[in-house]
Amino acid sequence: MQLQYFLVLAAALFCIGIYGLVTSRNAIRVLMSIELLLNSVNLNLMAFSNFLDPQAIRGQVFAVFVITIAAAEAAVGLAIVLSIYRNRDTVDMEQFNLLKW
Amino acid sequence: MSQWLVQTAWLIPCYPLVGMLLSIAWFPAITRRTGPRPAGYVNAITTFFAFLHGVLALPAALHQAPLSLYFPWLQVAGLDLTIPVEISSLTLGAMVLVTGLNLLAQIYAVGYLEMDWGWARIYSLMALFEAGMCALVLCDSLFFSYMILEILTLGTYLLIGIWFNQSLVVTGARDAFLTKRVGDLFLLMGVLAIYPLAHTWNYDELAQWAQTANVDPTLITLVGLALLAGPMGKCAQFPLHLWLDEAMEGPIPASILRNSVVVATGAWVLVKLEPVLALSPTVLNAAIAIGAVTAVGGTLIAIAQIDIKRAMSYLVSAYMGIVFIAVGAQQVEAALLVVLTHALAMATLMASCGSIVLNNITQDLTQLGGVWKRRPITGLSFIAGAFGLVALPPLGGFWSMLKLADGLWGTRPWLLALLLLINGLAAFSVTRTFGLIFAGDVKPMTVRSPENLWAITLPMTFLAGFVLHVPMILQSLSLLPEWATLNTDVALMLTWSSIFGFSLGGVFYISSLVQKPIQLPWKALQDLFAYDFYTPKLYRSSVVGSVDIVSRITDWIDRYIVDGLVNLVGLSSIFGGEALKYGNSGQTQFYVLTIAIGLVITAFWASWSFLSHLTITTQAISLVTGN
Repeated sequence: MQLQYFLVLAAALFCIGIYGLVTSRNAIRVLMSIELLLNSVNLNLMAFSNFLDPQAIRGQVFAVFVITIAAAEAAVGLAIVLSIYRNRDTVDMEQFNLLKW
Repeated sequence: MSQWLVQTAWLIPCYPLVGMLLSIAWFPAITRRTGPRPAGYVNAITTFFAFLHGVLALPAALHQAPLSLYFPWLQVAGLDLTIPVEISSLTLGAMVLVTGLNLLAQIYAVGYLEMDWGWARIYSLMALFEAGMCALVLCDSLFFSYMILEILTLGTYLLIGIWFNQSLVVTGARDAFLTKRVGDLFLLMGVLAIYPLAHTWNYDELAQWAQTANVDPTLITLVGLALLAGPMGKCAQFPLHLWLDEAMEGPIPASILRNSVVVATGAWVLVKLEPVLALSPTVLNAAIAIGAVTAVGGTLIAIAQIDIKRAMSYLVSAYMGIVFIAVGAQQVEAALLVVLTHALAMATLMASCGSIVLNNITQDLTQLGGVWKRRPITGLSFIAGAFGLVALPPLGGFWSMLKLADGLWGTRPWLLALLLLINGLAAFSVTRTFGLIFAGDVKPMTVRSPENLWAITLPMTFLAGFVLHVPMILQSLSLLPEWATLNTDVALMLTWSSIFGFSLGGVFYISSLVQKPIQLPWKALQDLFAYDFYTPKLYRSSVVGSVDIVSRITDWIDRYIVDGLVNLVGLSSIFGGEALKYGNSGQTQFYVLTIAIGLVITAFWASWSFLSHLTITTQAISLVTGN
């Protein structure tokens, strides 16, 4: 078990999250992809705090904050999706292109 | 008193200038109620004062050395532009001639422009010419001569363009300005090029320099040719001669001036430059060639004209060509004599032609005829002018031609033969004009042809009188050759050539032996002369055509390539903006992708120095493969 493995796994998770963020047509899935990103970040923080900073474990404190903020952000995000849905009757990301050129 | 008048002779150009300024008051837009006539009277009076000043000063100047005055004008760095003024018997005489002819032309204009409202403009321009010509003969510097010539070129443009509602007047004025300007610009090249060589523009100092000058023959040939080109345009010499033909669209009083003295301004400069021109035999030969071609061509063309004024204007070109021949043969005195006698004779001829035109309306020689019985004064004046023009003893033209021919006798006999030919042709030409106007049957246009009122007839008869008195004037100035030294062979040949020309013209045009209108056996040749060797076509196909094409090309290049390149920058930035705005797709996910790609590229760029040193070790391989 080495630090690199955790970092590679976190990076892979981040990339999967980015892929889902960019390609999903469903707005909820976009939010879920953002959660994946945040979780990959948390994984990084946990790995660094475990391998590099086992005494002060500041990374774990950061991770707690990130989880908290992520929950709040998900709540706000879902609220935004709901308000858009109420107006436009859809959560398809490709229909939300009014602010172009 | 007369001494004081000589010393103040530099004031003579100022009188007409005053008249010019005063006549502004009678422009139709300023004096709206009482008409323009006082402009003419004021100018005639100022001209008369100028003439009087010259006449009174002349006797005193005859017996003393030339007087040199200097008026400071401009001094910058190494250049000293002081206006040198030479008051000698010659310059005073020339000014008397100019102001006298101008006075008569202005009185003539009083009659001729009876039905015209544009007196202020015409008289102010005639005064400008008078002032310009007096200043030209006074100033003793090539540089200031050039300046005055340019002012006179502008004056020519305005004076020909008096009746600018006529389309031919507008084109004539344009051609006169541009043609003379081309000559003037060549002259400017010569003027600028001679300064580093001679370090002076004063004619006297130029002459002194030319005596001992040792310069590159090619260089001085080029400079000489440029100096020749200015008078070439001014004197309406081939190939810059078309403007004088078209300048005949202007009013007759102005034409009197132009044909007698204005074209002689070029001859004056040429005469003054003779010592410089003599430095290069090529230039002298060029002057002779130009003069000879113009003289022969001009007389032949004059014979084929049907317009009374144009038949005269080509003779002016021809006689100026004789001046060119005289200068080319280094016969300066003969050149000045030709200018003097030609000026008086041509002024008389133009005055009587104008007298005919004024109340026969037409200028077409084929529609004139048989007015001798009712117009004896005009006819006699014409005869006096014609006899004074060609070499017929004892009148002035004979003595000037004799002087020239005498100088050519020993050195260039073939030029003498040419001179005899020109003289004969000129005699034929004036006889033809006389015959067509005064002899033959009365035509519809000339059925009623009264003699003009005094303001026309008086100056005309005065001019005729001056022409008849030229030999006495020459006698009193001791310019006539002694009987003992008279070259009787040359004199006889000249006389015979004139008589031959006159009698041939008489047989063809005054007697009824030949059927009129006379057709040459070769129609093409007759048309060639009648249409002035097709010079307008020549200009249009050569200089005008090429300048036109080049200017169209440069205009096109400017419009499409230079402008286009600059516009392309603007257009491409507009196009860039128009095309790149589609990057704002409105898709949030696209923006996220852009951010991600940007981050990746930035990360690679930032860590490139680290990544480039990375090597794949066995440990890394095992990490990837999982062993």
